[in-house]
Amino acid sequence: MKKPSVDDILTRYFAPAADAGDLAKQVLTAARESARQSGRLLDRISIQTTPLGVSLIRAERLEKPATAAARRLAERAREELSEYFEGKRAFFSVPVDLSEAPDFQRKVLAAARRIPFGEVRPYAWVAQHIGHPRAVRAVGTALGRNPVPFIVPCHRVLQTGGGLGGYLFGTDVKSRLLSLERTTPVYEGCTSTHIVCRVGCVHGRHMRPDNRVVFASVDDARSIGYRPCKVCKPQAA
Amino acid sequence: MGRVARGDEGAFTELVGRYGGRLLGVARRLLGSRADAEDAVQRALLQCYLGAGTYRSEWAVSTWLYRILTNVCVDELRRRKSRAGELEPPARPHPPDAHLDLRRALSRVPTEARVLLALRYVDGLSYGELARIRGISINTVKSQLQRGKSLLKSALIKGGAV
Repeated sequence: MKKPSVDDILTRYFAPAADAGDLAKQVLTAARESARQSGRLLDRISIQTTPLGVSLIRAERLEKPATAAARRLAERAREELSEYFEGKRAFFSVPVDLSEAPDFQRKVLAAARRIPFGEVRPYAWVAQHIGHPRAVRAVGTALGRNPVPFIVPCHRVLQTGGGLGGYLFGTDVKSRLLSLERTTPVYEGCTSTHIVCRVGCVHGRHMRPDNRVVFASVDDARSIGYRPCKVCKPQAA
Repeated sequence: MGRVARGDEGAFTELVGRYGGRLLGVARRLLGSRADAEDAVQRALLQCYLGAGTYRSEWAVSTWLYRILTNVCVDELRRRKSRAGELEPPARPHPPDAHLDLRRALSRVPTEARVLLALRYVDGLSYGELARIRGISINTVKSQLQRGKSLLKSALIKGGAV
């Protein structure tokens, strides 16, 4: 018997799947749900800045920025957060000022920042990462008092069993952030410029939505002729 | 498409009925499991429904749908890759599966080539359409498909399937 060619094997493998069932109905329900759920988190938060960076994000009213530099940073932070909540940003470039935080907390927050966008780690992972594997509770407390939530992603830290743990703005916000990050891509390319950026880069903002293609990695983008952006440097992410 | 953009749910249902099966086919072959595929197609269709206003009429509807679907699937593949780097994947014994060799071989093909192969073989899309979906030249499409197929072939020869 003649052995099948690669073409034959592929054609058989990729035969279209069964019918779509009630997909349309499910999608329409989800669309209505998302329209209803768009309670704006951004309106609920205040941002406090120093000339060095964002120093505090909380639900209550905070001090107004004292200098022009601090005011500019506050505006930038608000803009980046707004894009983040809309699923249009996968990284923050605004600096944070953690000089008020104690040493231990600073280490914990630095470890949390290393958790990639859209992923989660257990509290024990953070404890291990900072060289205090038994200090799981202290890690939880340090993250619970995170002065700059969202920007330092303490919401990506969960209980070892997968439980949500606590969150400053409530666990429903925590799970909303996690599902938001699950549907926000990280690398996007523009089909007219053939440049690949991190989602949220200034370049991407001018991209027409129908020119957008998503990539799994910068190498993948390179393999079909896209080049990394020089502004957001996606290869360093 | 115009009716979908105006929020006509009947038109959208019709659209899903026409393309849903093929979208599921592509997603299933790219992501492996039916559950993940359904999730991806649902997310893609939701984007289509909410973003129907960005549809350009010089494109075939299928091109536009496939562009959105591949964007969702490729991002899902990225997440898996980075998860695999962090945690050891569970060593689950695979059920006997006639397609297993091919699935394993496909997992060695770089993402972009794999996406193009899936689109090409599920729906027989033309080179031109593939080029528009990923925003690349027809020559790149051809060379990627060629490369993907030759990688597949060598993996399959090693496994004795061809």
